[in-house]
Order: sequence, then C-alpha cells, then structure tokens
Amino acid sequence: MSSIEPTGAPRQDAKAQDKPRKTRKIKTTKDVNGVPQEIEIEVEDVDGPRWGERKELKLLNTELRRVDGPVKVTGRARFTHDVRLPGMVYARLLCCPYPSAEVEIDVKAALALPGVEAAIVLETKTRFLGQPIAVVAGRTSDHADDALRALKVVYKPLPWAVDRAQALAEGAPNVRKNGNQGKPGQNGDRAEAEAAVAGAAAKLEATYGVPVQHHASLETHGVVVDYTGGEEATVYISTQSTFAAVEQVAELLGLKANQVTCVVEYMGGGFGSKFGLGSEGAAACRVAKELKKPVHLMLRRPDEFVMGGNRSGNRVKYKAGMDKDGALVGLVAEAERFGGLGDGAMARPPYIYSAGKTYSEVVAVYTNTDSSRAMRAPGHPQSSFGMEAVIDELAYQLGLDLLDVRKKNLRDKVYHRQLERVAREIGWFEHPHRTKPGPNSGGKETGIGFGISTWGGGGSGGTECDVQIAGDGSVTVSVGTQDLGTGSRTLVTAIVAEEFGLALGDVVARIGNSRLPSATGSGGSTTTGSLSPAVKDAAWNAREAFSAHLAPLLKTDPALVRFAGGKVFSQANPNVTMTWKQASGTLPNAGLSAHGKWDKDRAAALMGNGVHGAQAAKVEVDTLTGRVRVLAMVGIQDCGLPINRLAVKSQLNGGMIQALSYALFEERVIDPVLGIALNANFEDYKLAGPSEIPEMTALIDDDDPRNAVIGMAEPAVVPGHSAIANAVHNACGARVRDLPLTPDKVLAALGRIA
Amino acid sequence: MSQDPIPEADLSRRLFLRSAGSVAAGGVLAQGLLGACAAERAEARSASAAPSVAEGPEELAGEIEIELELNGAKQKLKVEPRTTLLAALRERCAPPLTGAKDVCDRGNCGACTVHVDGKPAYACLLLAVDLRGKKIKTIEGIGAPENLSALQAAFCEHDASMCGFCTPGFVMSITACLEQHPGADRATIQRACSGNVCRCGTYPHVFAAALATAQQAKKG
Repeated sequence: MSSIEPTGAPRQDAKAQDKPRKTRKIKTTKDVNGVPQEIEIEVEDVDGPRWGERKELKLLNTELRRVDGPVKVTGRARFTHDVRLPGMVYARLLCCPYPSAEVEIDVKAALALPGVEAAIVLETKTRFLGQPIAVVAGRTSDHADDALRALKVVYKPLPWAVDRAQALAEGAPNVRKNGNQGKPGQNGDRAEAEAAVAGAAAKLEATYGVPVQHHASLETHGVVVDYTGGEEATVYISTQSTFAAVEQVAELLGLKANQVTCVVEYMGGGFGSKFGLGSEGAAACRVAKELKKPVHLMLRRPDEFVMGGNRSGNRVKYKAGMDKDGALVGLVAEAERFGGLGDGAMARPPYIYSAGKTYSEVVAVYTNTDSSRAMRAPGHPQSSFGMEAVIDELAYQLGLDLLDVRKKNLRDKVYHRQLERVAREIGWFEHPHRTKPGPNSGGKETGIGFGISTWGGGGSGGTECDVQIAGDGSVTVSVGTQDLGTGSRTLVTAIVAEEFGLALGDVVARIGNSRLPSATGSGGSTTTGSLSPAVKDAAWNAREAFSAHLAPLLKTDPALVRFAGGKVFSQANPNVTMTWKQASGTLPNAGLSAHGKWDKDRAAALMGNGVHGAQAAKVEVDTLTGRVRVLAMVGIQDCGLPINRLAVKSQLNGGMIQALSYALFEERVIDPVLGIALNANFEDYKLAGPSEIPEMTALIDDDDPRNAVIGMAEPAVVPGHSAIANAVHNACGARVRDLPLTPDKVLAALGRIA
Repeated sequence: MSQDPIPEADLSRRLFLRSAGSVAAGGVLAQGLLGACAAERAEARSASAAPSVAEGPEELAGEIEIELELNGAKQKLKVEPRTTLLAALRERCAPPLTGAKDVCDRGNCGACTVHVDGKPAYACLLLAVDLRGKKIKTIEGIGAPENLSALQAAFCEHDASMCGFCTPGFVMSITACLEQHPGADRATIQRACSGNVCRCGTYPHVFAAALATAQQAKKG
C-alpha cells in the first residue's frame, strides 16, 4: 500500500454520452396492407456498445433479484468451506501464540494418533502474533484437532512490540530490518499552515484515533486442494481473485499453470482480505503434495482473527483553524498508521474538504502483528474520522450550523445536494441542536451527525468474456470473475439479457473458474468498471453477429433487426415477429458465440470514475450510562448508471452497518505484557447484530447524469462511523476522539468518570 | 467442582470437556498436557469401541454408530461422543449436509442454526449423540431452489442475502419464529434472529423479507 493515498477526487466524466449522435438512413421494404413498399429508416450509427437511454432499459437500472438467491437461501450454494471430496482430509494450522518466538515442534506423538494423517512444521522462528508454525491433517476435523493438541511445542519468546508505546520505546526490538517506523510522507508547507491556524478565529488542537479493525468475513480464508498425485489439480478457494493463485499452486505442487484450475463458485465475503493463495493455501498444498489426497483447510475463527488481515488503525494529531464564516483556513495533520508488519493506509488529510493552507505528515509504526490488508476503502474511513470531527468541533466553537459549515468547505456541489438530501431525511432542519451540542442532562439525549465519502472506482483491462447462443435458445455468458456477494453474477446475466430483450432467467452465467475467460480481481470497487464493459462488448458482438444471421430471414438490413420482449423482428415490420426460440433454431448446430473484452476506447463509453456519498446518523445517548444507540442512518450515493438498484442499496446499507459496527464495537485488543490476542473470537470481538440495527435509508443519487457504470461498494463504508461519533457529540457534548464509542469513553467525555 | 475421582462411566464426557476447553484456549495451554489428553482418549477408544447401554449414565467412547432423524428421514452415521451435531452434519452424513455453516464453532454467530424438535438451536453447541430420538431439521429440509418456502422467496425478493454465508442460519431462526408467531412484528423478528450475525450487513433486507412473510401470513 502506498504511503499516502490520493483521495480519488471525483470528476464528472460524461464525455462519451455528450458526443452528437450520428445517424444514417437505410433503405428497406415495409409491408403496407400486404403490399411491400420501399421506405427509408434512420438508425443511430454507433461505433461500439452503449448502455442506451435509461428510459429504454428493461433490466438495468431496475431492482433485480439476484440470480443466485434461491441457491443461497436454501443452503445449496457450495462455498469452498462446503466442498467434500472422496478421501479428503481436514487440515488445521497451529498459529504461534506469541508475537515473536523461536519454536521447536515435535510431531511424532501427533503422527502416532489414530486418524491423523499429516503433521508438518512450517516455521521455527516467527515475526508476528498468529504466524502459522505447523499444519496438521486428519480424517475428520476432530482428528485434526487431536493432532494439534498432540504437537509438542517449545516456545522461546523473543522480545516484541505489539503496540505504539512498545514500538517507539527506547531499546525496542527491531520489528523490521530498518526499525519500527517507515519513511514519513510529507505534503505541503508546515510553516505556512501553522501560521494560518495561528491567525484563525477558532482554533483546535486534538488527537484522534481509530483502532485496528478486522474484515471478519464469515467464511474464513481457506482452500480445498484436490490433488491426488496426477498431472491435474483443482483448487477451490475463497478468494476475491479467481486467477491470482493459479501459478503459485502450480509451483508448490510441481505442476504447470495449465494443469491447475482454481474454482470460486460462491465465497463468503472478503472485504479486501482475500487475494492470492496465502500461507494457509500454501500449507494445504504441502499437505496435498505429501499425502496425494484432497485437503480441506479453512482457518479456524481465532486464527482468522490473528492472521487473516486487518484494517490498519491510526492516530492523527490535528491543528486546525476556521474563520468566523466557517471556512477552514489552515490544517496541520501529523499521522501515524498502525498496520502491523505492513504500512497501513490513510487518505491524505484534509480528505475531501478544502482546508486552506495544509500540511500533512504520515508515518507507519510497525508492530509484531500481521500485516494490514486492503479493507473496503483502504485509508478512507481512517481519514474521515478525524476530519469530520475537526469540522464539528470548530463549528461549535463559532456557533455555526454543522450542515452550512460542511458546504462552506466543499467545492464540489454534488456534496451540497447530497448533504441537503440526507439532512432532510434524518430530520436535521427540525433538530434543536444545529449549532451547539445538546445537554449532559443525566437523561437520554438525541443527536445527529454527518459524514461524506469519495472513491475512484473505474476499471482496467484484463477481463474477457464469451457469450453463446445455442440452437434451443439457451444463452450462456462465461467469464472467470468472482461474486463476493456483491452481485457480479447477476450483473453479468443482466447485461446479456438486456442486450437481447430477454428475461434474467433466460441467461445463465458461468463464473468463478480459471478455465473461463480471464477477469481481474475484485478490489477497490473496480469490478463493475472492469467487468461490465467486457460483458457488454461480448453481448454487443453477439447481437451484431445474430442480427447479421437473421437479417436475410427477416428480409431486412442487420441494423434494423430488433430484440425485445423475447421476440425478434425488423424495425420496418414490427408486427412480423419470430420468438427468441424460433430465431435461435435457425442457427447452425454449434450455435453462435461471440467474444468481448475490456478495451480502453470502447470501455470509455461504458464506465466512469469518481463517486460521491453523504451519510447522516441519528443517535440516542444515555448520559447516565454512556450507552449509545443508533436510531437511524441515511446514506446517499452516486454511481453513474446503476446496473442493479437493489444490489446498490444492499451495498449502501451494508457499508453503513459495517461503519456502525466500527463506531460502536470493533477493536483488536492485544495484551502488551503477555503478547496474546485477547479478543480473537466473536464473543469478545463484537460485530453489530440484528438488535443494533437502526432504521436504514439507502438512496441512490439519481441526479448523477453519467450514463456509465461505476463501482460504489467502497465509499458506502467510509463516513458512517464519523457521522455516529459526531451525532454522539451533538446529542450531549461527549466528544470521543478514539473509536470505538464504548460507554466508558462516553462517560469520561461527559466528565462523569475519570 | 468436586475433587472426587471421576467415575469410569463419565470418562468420555470428562475427556470431551477437557478437550473442548483446550480448543477454546487455543495454542496457549501447555501442549504436553494436551498431548496426554489425546493419548488418554485413544486408549479409551480402544477399550470400548461400541456403546453399552446399562443402568445409569450411558458410557460412550470411540467411534460409534448412531441413528439420527434428519429432515424426516432416519440416517445411520458414525460419530464420536465429542462430535458436534455441526461436524456430524457437515463431515459425517452421506451426503454431507453443508447448509449449516461453521463460522465460529462456539455459539456466537448463528450460522449453524438448525431446528431440534421444532426449536432453533446452534448445531455447534450440541453433541450428535445427544440428539438420538429427536427430530432434526436443517436448511436442506426447508425448501429447494425450485420450491422455496414463503420466507425464502421473500429473502430473494428483498435481497436479504449478499455473500450468503449467514443466510441459512437466518432462514432457520426466522422460520422457527414465524412458525411460533405467524404474524410477527419487527421487534419479534429482530429478537428471534438476534443470535445471528451477518458481516455484509443484510439485516434491513432480512427484516423486510421476514415482515413481508408475516404480513402475507396474516392476510392468510
């Protein structure tokens, strides 16, 4: 991860749609009362695929039911976790319980146990808490557990640093070769920024922090390696990138890449943590190579917590100044990122806002914990938290309306529109505390807070797609992409069905297999922008080819062949129709197939880049107990042309709920003295559950004029926790500057406990 | 806890409890003790391969064949006394019933929810041997893709499933709730599935699906 990430400044990119429409005239015959007459019809002359006018769309931009809904709700969807193969053994990892240690492992006793098939030492010296040190396998998972318990392990703990204080202490052990801090990234002129703050009407100096968070995908990382010693291997893998592990598997099994197939039919969430084979996948390959039997290795939940990835925490010291009209005039931000052995991520302050003279400095602080991984909008929620708080704290000093102050510091008017919309929905204009916080009354108080988001999205090359029409009318779209729960399988299906005027159920999508046409991994909300243009291209090519085939039969020009409502006809004679099945029946035995790909020029007309979002939260704070209850959340998001409005709403709701969970509950806790993980399970690392869910309103910003698709999963998660923390402050004056907003911190902020 | 010697008949349960405790504590416990525990169990297994039903507590050890009633059909399967219902369903049934998911394996997430005699239960907290003679229903017994239950159809309609990993558990919890309270309101539904967790954040869609089903039931 780069040291400072650009904030993906949104831009309105509608060039392709603004081009003047070119038309041409086609001579054809039209039946008028049974008498053929020569006529001319004007058709649009396009040089490549377009989504078409929104009002003409039958499936896209509507609420589509996911095509894999029925298999998911009946438990029939087969996840990697569920793969069962003849002779398969179950493997488990032993993860080092110390942050750094020398390890001696004797596997003899384990191997002697009935039902135990393998016990292999992986590491003898570790660098992070939870590093895998051995892998075992048994006939059942019970037997694998037996093997784990029978391993004789002698740990010699080495000096470690698991938190900031330990990493920066005098005489701390070197976590990385060059020490415990990365190279600082600086931006702006410090002296200028300091001077601007000093001269401001309102000043604030405060430090904000967010903890390390976990992805906590319900399906843990893992694989099933189907290798029995032949020249072929199939690896079922819970991954965000179907193709990413192929070569590594081949190398580990001593095969060639073309002998390895990776399969990801269904996967139980990734949120950025699942790319590549991982050390768990590599361990499973070692066992498979040794046993020549299929190996099932899914991380156990406690292991997932310590080695399955995390969102880096941060700590940012802000100095900020605002003039009396509410404009930020200066900002100094000194940030530390906590990404374990990794660098972590943080969008550069002042994030989306304009802050006048700005200086920022960001440095990574390393610890003996697993490296942070990309997590849904890497770096953005971390930056959002401090900036949204700084704005509210300064606005209160000046007695200004929180909504007005935000608009004052946002040049992009899209945010003005979006903020006003969520303010209206959440009841801001009727809210009594718009310029100063509510009272620390000893009773329950209600507050409202805001936050905004941005993301780049876009797409890139590397995705290809096949569309096949069989003689019986069945249609197949094939692309190796993966569906993380985002709805990409439905997206692929809908684009092809739309092209041919068919229903969603008339098209079958084949995805999630490395034997299929290539596709990029799903990260950074780039799947929609990378996948859709490739699929649209294939569908468009298939339609062109089918039109050319059908034109003579319909006695018309290929440009006049129309597909709509399951029928095929000439635009000249819309009353003379063939059914889709009849039309397909005229194809040769092999049917028709067409290929498409993400091509820079053609994709430019189909996908866009840069999105905006605004969210508001309403909370109730019990000022006597410090307990926070979120009453309502409202989010609005633009995304160009939504392919599936229902899936967009699900993403937006899901993002807001993950942010609620981050705001109130989530935090990795490691004991610095013992070096052990204290909450590596779901009873101590709490996720928001049904009882915590407020009234949710997810709005798609239909004022976005772009007729291009843009991914929006990342921004949905960015501002919700900031809005909740701001709402708590707004309710009763409790400014909690480090998440999560636990009752003890709220009470301390209220001055009710020390 | 009494320090009296543990009676012979309680051996397998004692072993089970001890091994379950060590799972919870992870790799931090002294590995030597754990190894000894496994060896002790191996001995116990060879000493008694078949269950013996006698007066008083039943002694079970080693791999034994039991019969379970799963989704209305009786099935014989081999388990150990320590095998959870979840592990039995997922690893020991033929064909395996993998709809119930192993997410936390300690009763925190609800992804393994099944019905035992009509009541929702976490399969990871039950021992398979304790369920002999009880009626067990899993997600596989609720509906099929081509023949969805009303609730399952509503889940599809309202997009109540994203990655889908938690979905079978939610369907099981809410199905049991709606069997008890056909016209349930939102608070009742929220309470009924409060033992289920979804990381994608489908909750509002789940509630909408459940409420729609309940309202449909009210209309009859």
